[in-house]
Amino acid sequence: MSTSFILIKRNIKLFFKDKGMFFTSLITPAILLVLYATFLGNVYRDSFTSNLPDSLKLSESIVNGLVGSQLMSSILAVSCVTVAFCSNFLMVQDKVNGITKDFRISPVNSATLSMSYYTATLISTLIICLVAAGICLAYVAIVGWYMSLADVFLLLLDILLLVLFGTALSSIINLFLSTQGQISAVGTIISAGYGFICGAYMPISSFGTGLQKTLAFLPSTYGTSLIRNHSMQGVLSEMQNQGIPSEIIEEIKDSLDCNLYFFENQVNMTTMYIILGITVSALIGIYILLNVFKKGKC
Amino acid sequence: MKNIIEINHLNKSFGEIKAIQDLSFCVKEGELFAFLGINGAGKSTTINIICGQLLKDSGHIVIDEQDLDKNAYTIKSELGVVFQSSALDSSLSVYDNLESRAALYGIIGIPFKKRIAELAKILEFEDLLKRTVGKLSGGQRRRIDIARALFHKPKILILDEPTTGLDPQTRKTLWSVISNLRKNENMTVFLTTHYMEEASEADYVVIIDSGKVSAKGTPLELKNTYTGDYITIYGAKEKDIKSLGIEYEQIKDAYRLSVPNTKVATELIIKNPDVFNDYEITKGKMDDVFLAVTGKALVGGAEK
Repeated sequence: MSTSFILIKRNIKLFFKDKGMFFTSLITPAILLVLYATFLGNVYRDSFTSNLPDSLKLSESIVNGLVGSQLMSSILAVSCVTVAFCSNFLMVQDKVNGITKDFRISPVNSATLSMSYYTATLISTLIICLVAAGICLAYVAIVGWYMSLADVFLLLLDILLLVLFGTALSSIINLFLSTQGQISAVGTIISAGYGFICGAYMPISSFGTGLQKTLAFLPSTYGTSLIRNHSMQGVLSEMQNQGIPSEIIEEIKDSLDCNLYFFENQVNMTTMYIILGITVSALIGIYILLNVFKKGKC
Repeated sequence: MKNIIEINHLNKSFGEIKAIQDLSFCVKEGELFAFLGINGAGKSTTINIICGQLLKDSGHIVIDEQDLDKNAYTIKSELGVVFQSSALDSSLSVYDNLESRAALYGIIGIPFKKRIAELAKILEFEDLLKRTVGKLSGGQRRRIDIARALFHKPKILILDEPTTGLDPQTRKTLWSVISNLRKNENMTVFLTTHYMEEASEADYVVIIDSGKVSAKGTPLELKNTYTGDYITIYGAKEKDIKSLGIEYEQIKDAYRLSVPNTKVATELIIKNPDVFNDYEITKGKMDDVFLAVTGKALVGGAEK
């Protein structure tokens, strides 16, 4: 066991023992569940069926599978980022409680401390998101399962990428926070705001053109789209097999953010992976540089 | 005895506020050094600079013959610090807390288990290892703070108001442990405290005010310089006391006379043997020294 391993273990234990932090991280997914259970599920169910030609009738299982997959993709896309932020608040709480000062009187390397927070957040967030993915997949299996094994594998890869993104972004932002008030403010903004900007509450396609174009600049938008694609492409293929014209399928994909456009140009999935990969690498690089710079200051 | 801490012409400002002004003093190896001052005098700033938490504006600090500017990481291995407020994780157990703090010094695996058993015995917290730190009493938590500071066997133990808020019994226990460590391991203790009776046990005392040294010396030197002696006379009549022509005050069943020093007290007794049948001579207290030096009294941590 190394110093890093023990520090990572400490950080993970603290996150799961701090009920405040743990439950705050689950607020957005919980809001989504409530929204879908109360009305959003029915709204989407009606909108899918009303767009279909009268001659086509879809089975209940397909419609439920589509709505269920949308719910799953929304929950997972949001959780990967909001859970990462809340988990990484430990870094700030340690500053507030004087624990960072206690750490820094020891000869421990500053990089070891920083990476222990990053890795612990990554692991805690992955644990929660993978458990959430398991529950969501079980739910989709009950209401209407059309996913292939490759879809599931790619969905897990998307989760990993988005968690890496959320962890790196939160590490950078949290580095500048130092009070409990700032934790609350950022926590509230992320919990309430991220669900909107990633299109979890309402698809980005339903927003105004200006906002859509702005959101196209956010790398996380492509992460959400990847999750949507891999959650829904099975059920959409099945719809096509049952005779739904490909134009209608494309329309549904547009409306559900499976197809994303950067100034009228459709972004394919390979490009989405490249954007997310480069963003994650850049954010981790910035985090390392910021730590080096801060260390230089004192 | 060699100097283990040497501070020369240290300066530190926070904007317009000069927290430390040309501060210079030395601490000898193995001694109990008391660093006194009211809140805001610059004690914690000095400690934070020594520990590498704050950058100084100017000056020179040498710890165990190593320049702080050049060997900060090595020096950190030689310092153990007990902060004013506990810096442990409240929701983790004592064991988990000490495991993570020991790891900072590379103490892991079997060496960690050996050391924790050793410290648990010395500081009597064997039965607390599985308890959550947040549920410990103030005294129990302080013992764990001290264990954390001692884990890597530091040469210098910095105690920043370690006994504030503790009951007398716990304070006594902590001081007994620290005294034993000093004796057995020749550890230097750098103490800040608001309890003057603790400071009077020190080998050397530095009093600072507004970031500057106001007085320094052994407790005896300081008492001799800044306070007089007291003669307490029992069973005497007030008219006899008045006849001595010396400032006095009546206490429960005695009278207390203030004299400049022991020599004057001796002369007074020799001149008036009839009055001095039952009496005692005591030195002034560190509280009196502090009051005389800074013009401010300290009562349980608060300036008065």
